[in-house]
Amino acid sequence: MKADDVKTFTLKNGMKFLVIEDNSIPNANMYMFYKVGSRNEYQGITGLSHFFEHMMFNGAKKYGPKMFDQTMEFNGGANNAYTTENVTVYTNWFPSSATEVIFDLEGDRISSLSIDPKMVESERGVVISERSTGLENSPWNVLFQTAQGVAFLEHPYHWPVIGYLDDMKNWKQADLERYFKTYYAPNNCVTVISGNVKFDEVKKLAEKYIEPIPAQAAPPKVNIVEPPQNGERRVVMQKDVATPYIGIGWHVPEAKHEDYYALTLLSDILTSGRSSRLYSSLVDKKQLATNIFANFGESFDPTLFNIAGVTAKNISELDLEKAIYEELDKIKKDGVTDNELQKVKNQKLMEFYGQVETINGKSNNIGTYEVFFGDYRKMFDAPAAFNKVTSDDIKKVVTKYFTKSNRTVGILKSNTEE
Amino acid sequence: MQRIFYILAICLFTGISLNAQSYKLPPYEKFKLKNGLTVYLMEQHEVPIISVSVILPAGAIYDGEKSGLALLTSFALKHGTKNFNKQKLDEELDFLGASIGTSSSKESASLSARMATKDKDKVLNMLKEVLLEPTFDAGEFEKEKKRWLVTLEQQKESPRSVIGSYFDKFLYGDHVYGNIGSGKISTVTPLTVDDVKKFYAENYLPEGAAISIAGDFKMAEMKTTVTNLFSEWKKGTKPQVNLASKPITKPGKQQVLLINKDDAKETTFYIGAPGISRNNPDYVSIDVINTLFGGRFTSMLNDELRVNTGLTYGANSRFAALKNGGSFVISTFTAGKTTEPAIDKALEVLDKLHKDGIDEKSLASAKNYVKGQFPPRYETAGQLANLMTQMFWYNFDESFINNFEKNVDGLTLDKAKEIIAKYFPKDKLQFVLVGKSADIKKIAEKYGPVTEVQIKEEVKKAF
Repeated sequence: MKADDVKTFTLKNGMKFLVIEDNSIPNANMYMFYKVGSRNEYQGITGLSHFFEHMMFNGAKKYGPKMFDQTMEFNGGANNAYTTENVTVYTNWFPSSATEVIFDLEGDRISSLSIDPKMVESERGVVISERSTGLENSPWNVLFQTAQGVAFLEHPYHWPVIGYLDDMKNWKQADLERYFKTYYAPNNCVTVISGNVKFDEVKKLAEKYIEPIPAQAAPPKVNIVEPPQNGERRVVMQKDVATPYIGIGWHVPEAKHEDYYALTLLSDILTSGRSSRLYSSLVDKKQLATNIFANFGESFDPTLFNIAGVTAKNISELDLEKAIYEELDKIKKDGVTDNELQKVKNQKLMEFYGQVETINGKSNNIGTYEVFFGDYRKMFDAPAAFNKVTSDDIKKVVTKYFTKSNRTVGILKSNTEE
Repeated sequence: MQRIFYILAICLFTGISLNAQSYKLPPYEKFKLKNGLTVYLMEQHEVPIISVSVILPAGAIYDGEKSGLALLTSFALKHGTKNFNKQKLDEELDFLGASIGTSSSKESASLSARMATKDKDKVLNMLKEVLLEPTFDAGEFEKEKKRWLVTLEQQKESPRSVIGSYFDKFLYGDHVYGNIGSGKISTVTPLTVDDVKKFYAENYLPEGAAISIAGDFKMAEMKTTVTNLFSEWKKGTKPQVNLASKPITKPGKQQVLLINKDDAKETTFYIGAPGISRNNPDYVSIDVINTLFGGRFTSMLNDELRVNTGLTYGANSRFAALKNGGSFVISTFTAGKTTEPAIDKALEVLDKLHKDGIDEKSLASAKNYVKGQFPPRYETAGQLANLMTQMFWYNFDESFINNFEKNVDGLTLDKAKEIIAKYFPKDKLQFVLVGKSADIKKIAEKYGPVTEVQIKEEVKKAF
C-alpha cells in the first residue's frame, strides 16, 4: 500500500473524505473522526464528550430510538465508537452492499439527532455502569486517572475521559444540544472509508447524504496551556491489591512535535519485547516487577509519557521505581546501541505491515495520521522518519524530558498507612 | 472509553458473506508427515508476512492434580532451546520484529509465530527448536512461576478475570472440563521443572498435532521446508487417552454459587447451563439464534438490560463449544444495589425467548448479521492459519465455510422454534455471582440453594 492508494475529496460543508479501494474481502468500513474529546470540556460537564458518543446512537429524525443499530444490524453491519481526551471516533463495519444504508444512517444522525430526555436518563445509567465496571476490574484505571489529574493541574487532561461521578449525574439537556451543534459539524470531522467500494460511488453518496448538512463556525480553541512542572509530584492510592502498582508520567510534547519519532522509538526500546531494556533488566534479571510497560500516544496538546509496572512479591515499589530511573540514566549517559535502534526500526516495519493487512487497520491509521499529524501522507513518511532517528536523538529526548522535576509518580497499594 | 465491549460470539468462525459475493476459503494444501503431524499450507501475498499456528492435545484437561501444569509447560517452551538460550531467543526474535507465542487452553496447547517473509528460514527454525528441542531451564522456570503466582493473586482483584473458572468448576464438577487452566496458588507453588519435562514428554506429540502456515511463500518450497524441519519429531510410545471423552454429569437442580468479595461495588454474574459440542449438527442454527438472544448489540438481552433499563453497560450470551461438550452462559454485571432487578430481567428475557419465540424479521436480521460480519474474520494470514488449526482440531473442512451461507439461509422459523426448545435452557440454571455477600446473599437465595465462598480462598475441588 502507498500514499497514491488513498484518494480524497472535501465536501462543500468542509467534511474531508479519505477513500481506499480494497476488494480483498466483500466488506467495507467507515471511520468518522470528530475532533472533540474530554479536552473540550470544563468542570461541571466532565465526561460529556464520551456521553455524547453514546447519545449519537439514540435516535434522530428518520431513524428513531434504537433504529440506528437495528437498521445497521439488519443490513449485516456492526459498529462501535470510542472517546479519548482528543477525539471521538465512530466505526462502522459492513458488507459493501450496505454502503448506502450506512451513509443514510450517518447523514440522519449528523444532520438531525434528537436528544430525547428519556433516553438521556437510561443512557446515563449505562455510562455510570461503564465507569464503575472499569474501576471494579482494573487497578490501572484508578491509578492513571488520579496520577494524570496530578500531572495536569490546569489543562483539561486533568479530568478522566469518563468524567467525575457527580458531573455524570448532572449533565443537562442544554449542554448536550450545544455540544451537538458545536462539535458535530461536518467541518469538524474526517471520514475514512476502506474496502470493497469505488471512489466515485462513495463521492456520490457523500454528496447526496452528507453535503446538504450545513457547516458551523469553528469550535472554540482550547486555550489553556499546562504551565511547566518544576518539581516532582507524588500521589498514593489505596486499593486491595496483591502487590503495589506504580505509574510514572513525564510531560512530553504533542504528536506534531519533532521529538515524536524519537519518543516513540524510546518507548519500544524500553518495553517492547522481552529483550527490551526495562523488561530484561527489571522483570527478568532483577525480578523487581512482574510486568512493565510504556505508554506514549498521539495527542493534540502536550501529553504524558508513562512507564508503569507491577511490583514483584516482597519487593518495595520504591526499589522498582529507583531501578526504572537507573535504566533511564544509563541512556542519558551512553545513549542506545545501533543494534537496539535497528531492532525497534525493524519492529516498526512489522507493525506497519500489520496495520495495512486489514481494511480496519488501514482506516484507523490513515485517519489517525490525518487528524493528529495534519496529513494522512505522514503515515507513508513515517518509516523514513523513524529511520532517521539516531542514538543521539534518543539520548537527547531522555535528557530533556525525563527529569525529576518533570515527573509525577502514582502508587497504588493495599497499605497506605505504612 | 468505548461504547461496547467486544462481544464474544459463539465461536471464532460462524457466518458467511452477504449477497452476491459469498466468501470462499482460499485454496490450501493439507498433508501428513510420516510421524503423524498434519500440515496445512495456504499462500497469501498481500503483505510480506508469514503466520504460523500450531495446535497440540496438551491442555488443562491433562493437568490431573497439578492444576496449571499445562499452562506453565507452554510458557516454559520459551525458556531456551538446543541452540538458543532464553536471552538469545528473545533477542533474535525481537531484532527481526518477529514473534513466537506459546499458550494453553482447556483442551489444547498452541503456538503461534509471525515473521517477515525474508526471515522465514531463521524464525521457522527457532519455532521448530521451541517446539521440539526446549531445554526447560530450572532457573528460568522458577522465575516464571514466581511471576505467575503473583498474577494468580492479582486475578482475584478483578471479578471478570475469575468468574469463568468458578462457573466451569460449578457446571462440570469432576469432569476434566472443570479443570482450572490458570492453576491455583496451592497447585502451582510445588510445581518443578521435572513436572514440566514429564508433561511435555507425555503430551507434546506429533500424531495428535497440526501446524498451519499462511502467508507470503511458495507452496512447493514451504512443503520441503516444513517436511525437513518437523520430520524428526518422534511419535509417542503409548497412545494418549482422551480424558474429556468421559460423560459429563448434568446439574440435577437449580443452584447458586456466591463468591464474596468484600470491596465489590458491583455484582458480576453468569447464569448458565450445559451447552453443545463443536460438532453439533445444529451449530450454525444455534449461532444465529444466539446472535438474536445475546450475541450482538440489539440482542434481546442487551436491549433489555442496557438500552431499556440502563442496568448495565453490557449483557450478552454465548455458547462455548468444546470437543465433547460445552456450556451456555448469560453474562453481565450491575451495581450491587440493582442485583435483583438485573437477574430478574435476564431470566425474564430467557423466559420470553421460550414463550414468544422469534419473528420472521428478527430472524432475517440475525442471518444478515452473521453473514455480513463473517469475511473480516478471515482477512489476515494469522486468522487463516488459526482457522486451519481449528479445522484440524474440530474435524471440519472448507465445506463448513463455503456452505455456511446456505446453512444460515436454511434456518426456518419452525426450525428456530425447535432450536430454542432444545438448546436454550429453561430450568436447572446455574447461577454464579461475584459480589458483596453481605448485601446480596438474601437476593441470591431467591434463585436456589446458595453455596458461599470467599474470593480470597482457593477454588474448591467441588462445590
